Amino acid sequence: MASHSQVLEEEKSSVRILTLNRPKQLNALSFQMISRLLQLFLAYEEDPSVKLVILKGQGRAFCAGGDVSAVVRDIGQGNWRLGAKFFADEYMLNYVMATYTKPQVSILNGIVMGGGAGVSVHGPFRIATENTVFAMPETVLGLFPDVGASYFLSRLPGFFGEYVCLTGARLDGADMLACGLATHYLPSTRLTALEAELCRVDSSDPTLVSAILDACTQNPHLKQQSAYHRLDVIDRCFSGRTVEEIIAALEREASDDWISTTIRALKKASPASLKISLRSIREGRLQGVGQCLSREYRMVCHVLKGDISKDFVEGCRAILIDKDKNPKWEPWRLEEMKDRMVEQYFKRVEEEEDLKLPARKNLPALAMAKL
Amino acid sequence: MSENRALQRANILANHILRSPPLPSSLSLAREVCLQYSPPELNESYGFDVKEMRRLLDGHNTEDRDWLYGLMMQSNLFNRKERGGKIFVSPDYNQTMEQQREITMKRIWYLLEKGVYRGWLTGSGPEAELKKLALLEVCGIYDHSLSIKLGVHFFLWGNAVKFFGTKRHHEKWLKNTEDYIVKGCFAMTELGHGSNVRGIETVTTYDPRTGEFVINTPCESAQKYWIGGAAKHATHTIVFSQLNINGTNQGVHAFIAQIRDEDGTICPNIRVADCGHKIGLNGVDNGRIWFDNLRIPRENLLNSVADVSPDGEYVSAIKDPDQRFGAFMAPLTSGRVTIASSAIYSAKVGLAIALRYSLSRRAFSLTANGPEVLLLDYPSHQRRLLPLLAKTYAMSFAANDLKMIYVKRTPETNKAIHVVSSGLKAVLTWHNMHTLQECREAVGGQGVKTENLVGQLKGEFDVQTTFEGDNNVLMQQVSKALFAEYVSCKKRNKPFRGLGLEHMNSSRPVLPTQLSSSTLRCSQFQKNVFCLRERDLLERFTSEVAQLQGRGESRESSFLVNHELAEDLGKAFTEKAILQTILDAEAKLPAGSSKDVLGLVRSMYALISIEEDPSFLRYGYLSRDNVGDVRREVSKLCGEVRPHALALVTSFGIPDAFLGPIAFNWVEANAWSSV
Repeated sequence: MASHSQVLEEEKSSVRILTLNRPKQLNALSFQMISRLLQLFLAYEEDPSVKLVILKGQGRAFCAGGDVSAVVRDIGQGNWRLGAKFFADEYMLNYVMATYTKPQVSILNGIVMGGGAGVSVHGPFRIATENTVFAMPETVLGLFPDVGASYFLSRLPGFFGEYVCLTGARLDGADMLACGLATHYLPSTRLTALEAELCRVDSSDPTLVSAILDACTQNPHLKQQSAYHRLDVIDRCFSGRTVEEIIAALEREASDDWISTTIRALKKASPASLKISLRSIREGRLQGVGQCLSREYRMVCHVLKGDISKDFVEGCRAILIDKDKNPKWEPWRLEEMKDRMVEQYFKRVEEEEDLKLPARKNLPALAMAKL
Repeated sequence: MSENRALQRANILANHILRSPPLPSSLSLAREVCLQYSPPELNESYGFDVKEMRRLLDGHNTEDRDWLYGLMMQSNLFNRKERGGKIFVSPDYNQTMEQQREITMKRIWYLLEKGVYRGWLTGSGPEAELKKLALLEVCGIYDHSLSIKLGVHFFLWGNAVKFFGTKRHHEKWLKNTEDYIVKGCFAMTELGHGSNVRGIETVTTYDPRTGEFVINTPCESAQKYWIGGAAKHATHTIVFSQLNINGTNQGVHAFIAQIRDEDGTICPNIRVADCGHKIGLNGVDNGRIWFDNLRIPRENLLNSVADVSPDGEYVSAIKDPDQRFGAFMAPLTSGRVTIASSAIYSAKVGLAIALRYSLSRRAFSLTANGPEVLLLDYPSHQRRLLPLLAKTYAMSFAANDLKMIYVKRTPETNKAIHVVSSGLKAVLTWHNMHTLQECREAVGGQGVKTENLVGQLKGEFDVQTTFEGDNNVLMQQVSKALFAEYVSCKKRNKPFRGLGLEHMNSSRPVLPTQLSSSTLRCSQFQKNVFCLRERDLLERFTSEVAQLQGRGESRESSFLVNHELAEDLGKAFTEKAILQTILDAEAKLPAGSSKDVLGLVRSMYALISIEEDPSFLRYGYLSRDNVGDVRREVSKLCGEVRPHALALVTSFGIPDAFLGPIAFNWVEANAWSSV
C-alpha cells in the first residue's frame, strides 16, 4: 500500500491522472514506482473505459530521474544485477510508453531530468510551463543518457541532441518547445483548467487531444541566453566525429560565456561517459526505439558491473553522497578512453540476458514508425 | 453459372457477418475490415546477430559510416521528408538538371565544412584509404550523383595529381583540392575514344622558347566528352593527350590545365559545352571541352613516369611505350574498386526495399475466404529475390576483399588488382542492374515512384556498366590476362601462382555423377565445380587461340574470333573469385547461427550461379539430371533462406531513412491525412 502511494491514481471519466508522489526526493523514480507505473499503463491499455492518461508530479518537480542511490548501494554490496533489474523495468516502461496505443499527456511543471524525461518524452504530448527545468545530467554522474534518450535526443534538430546529451545543459520550457522536446507550452496557472478540459475529451483519437492542446498553447519567447539561439555553433561543433573533435571545434570558436561554460561542462564530465554517450546517440539516430533501449541496457549493465570504468559509483559519490563535487574519473583523460574500451560497452555482458521487450500489438502508426 | 456466383457472394457476406465477433465500441467498422500495415519486425524474428553481420558486411569503419549517415539526416540540404511518421532523406529527382547540380554542390560544401574529406588526399596508409572508401560509399547510398561528383574530384583529379604527379604538384594541389579551393575534373574520354585511351586524338606539343606546352583539339572527335564537373563547377582539369616532341609521338601523357577562374569564368583558349540531360546522374555536370592551342607551363606535365626538360628533351625511365602506358594507368584502378563496391550498396538498397515490402504486402488468397498471402510466402517471389540476395552477400564480400588488396597494394600485386577489379567491376555492376530491375518489378507499381528509389536507381546506376571501362571490354581483358598467365606458366614449365589459379597445378577434379542435397551444399563440391569450369574454359580458350595462331592468325584476331569463350572464361574466373571470398568470410566466423546462415547463403550463391550459366551443360561439366538437382536445391534453399530474409537485409545496415517509404508503413505514407 505504501509503495502504491508513491504513484497517486485519479479516475476522472475516461481519463486517468497519475501523479508521481515522492516530492521530497523530487519524485525520483523508485523501483516500486516503476513497477506500479508499468502495471497501471498495461492495465489501462486493456481497459476500454480508459481513453487517455495524464502523468504529472507532486510538488516542484515532475521527476528528477531514476532513484540511483539504491542502485549504488546494491553495487557497493556486490550486487550490480539488482540494479540491472531496476533499469530493465524502467526501460520496459519507456518502451511501453513509446509504443502506447492511447494518448499520454505529461505535464512537465517543474524539474524533468534523466528518467523523468524517459517517462514523458516518449509519449505524444508533453506540456512545458514557466517552471520547467529539463536536463540529461548523466555524463557528470559517470552514467550516460539512457531511458531511450539515444532515440529521442538524436531526433532533435541538427546536433542539439548531442549538445544536450554531452553537456547536461539545462533547458527551460521555451527551449523544450523550440527544440521539440515539449509539444505545447502554457502558464502553470492554466493547468487546472486544461486538465478539466482533457477529462471531457472521452476519446483516444490523438487529433482530438491535439486540438484541445493546440487551442491553449502559447509561444513563449526564448530567453536571450538560450542555447537554442546558438544552434549554428552547436551544429558546427557538436557534429564532430569524436568528443575530442567536438571540444577542439568549440575551442576554435570565438570565446564567450556560453562557449566557455559549454567547454567547462564537457571537461567536468566523465571521459568514459562522454565517449559512450556520443557513440550511443550516433547509433540511436539510425535505430528504432526498441533497439535503442536494448543497446542502452547492454551499456548500463557494463556501467553497473564496472568492468571497464567505475565512474558511475564515483560520480554518485561525488555528486549525490559526499557532495564534494570532485569526482576522480578513471580514465581521467579523453585520450585514455580508447576505442576498444568504448566498444566493450556495446557488447553483451557475459551471463547477462539481453533486454526482453514485451510484444506489442495494435500499434498506432506513430508507434510503428518508432520500431 | 451466374446464379452460382451470386450464391457464392452471398455465402462470403454471410461468413463475414457470422464470423465477426461483436465489435468493441471503441473500434470503428472501417478499421476492422480494412487492410492494415503490419511491420515485418513484429512477425519475423532474427535468427542471428544482425549487428555482427552488419559489421562483417560493411567490413570496416562502421562508426564513421554512421556518423556520415547522421550528418546527412540532420541537415536540411538532404531533402528530409516525413512519410508515415518516419523521416526519409533522398534527393528530389523531380528537380531540374540545373537544380540537381546546384544542390549536389551545396551538399559537397556542407560535408566539407563537417570535415568529411579530411585526409582524403593528404592522408596515407590503408587506414586512411579505407575510411575514405567507407565515407564515399555512404555518399553513394544517399545519391550516386553526390559520390560521382566527389569521386571525380578526389579519385580522378586528386589521385591523378597524387600518383602521376611529383612533389611540386603535390605541394601545390593536394591540400587545395582537399579544401575545395580548386575543383578538379578529369578529361580523358573523347567523343571518338572511350575505353581505348591510347587512341585519343588531343595533341600536345612543347614550345622551348617559352617553356610551355601547347594543348590542342585538332578535330571534333577529339573534343573531351562526358567530363564530370566540366559543364559547371570545375576550375582545373587533368588533360590526357598525345605528347608530340619534335615530331615524335611519345604516347599518352597527363597535364594540368586551368579551365575556369575563381569566379567561374571560362579561361581563354578553352571552350566548354554541356553534355545535356541524362537518364540519371543529373546532379553531375558532365561537359565537353575543346582546347584551342592552350598554353600551360612546363611544370604542369604530371611527370612521375616521364618528363620534358626545359630545352625540350623527352626523358623517361621506362623505354617501352606499352609498359610506360601500363605504369601510367595502374593507379586508376581505384575507380573500378569504388564502382564495384558502390554497385553492391545500390543492390542492397534495392533488395532491402523490395524484401521489406514483400514482408508486408499481401496479394490473393489461396482459398475463397482465406487471408491474402504475403508476397514473400510465394515460392515464385522467393525465387525472384532470394537468389539475388545471396549473390549480393557473396559479392559484398568480394568487393571488400578487393578493397583490402587495393589499399595494401604493392607493385607485385598490380596485375592481380587489375584483373580482379576488371572482372568484379563488370560482374557486380551487371548484377546491380539485374537486381534493381527485379526489385522494381517485385514491388509492382510502387516501384515506378521515384521516392521509392528502386526504379530511379536503375537510371542512376546504369552508367556503371560503361564508365571506367566498358564491362564487355573488361571481361575480355580478364580472359586475355588469364591467357597470358597460362601461356607463360606452360612455356616456363612453372606451376601457377596467383589469381587463384593454383588449383590448375593439381589434377582435374572429378564430380560425382549423382548429386545429393548434401553434396550440392558441400563447399568442396562447389569449389570443384567452379574450378573445373574455369580450368576447362581456360584450356579451351588457349588451345583455340593457339590453333588459330598456328594457322597464321595474329593473337589479337584469334582473341576476337573466340569472344564467346572469352566471355564464358571471364565470368567463370570472376564467379569463382567471388565464391572464394564468401567461403573465406564463412570460415572466419566462429560456429554459431551467423555461420550457419552464411553457409546457406553461400550454397545459394554457388547453386544459382550454376543454374544460370549454360556453360555447365554446354561443355558437359554437369548432366541434365545434375542441373535438375541443382534447380530443385535452389528452390529448397529459397524456403530455408526465407525465414532469414528480414534479418539478412537488416544486416545490410542501411538506415531506414535511406530506404524508400514503401519499405515501411506504406498505408500510412499514402493516407489521406498525408496528402
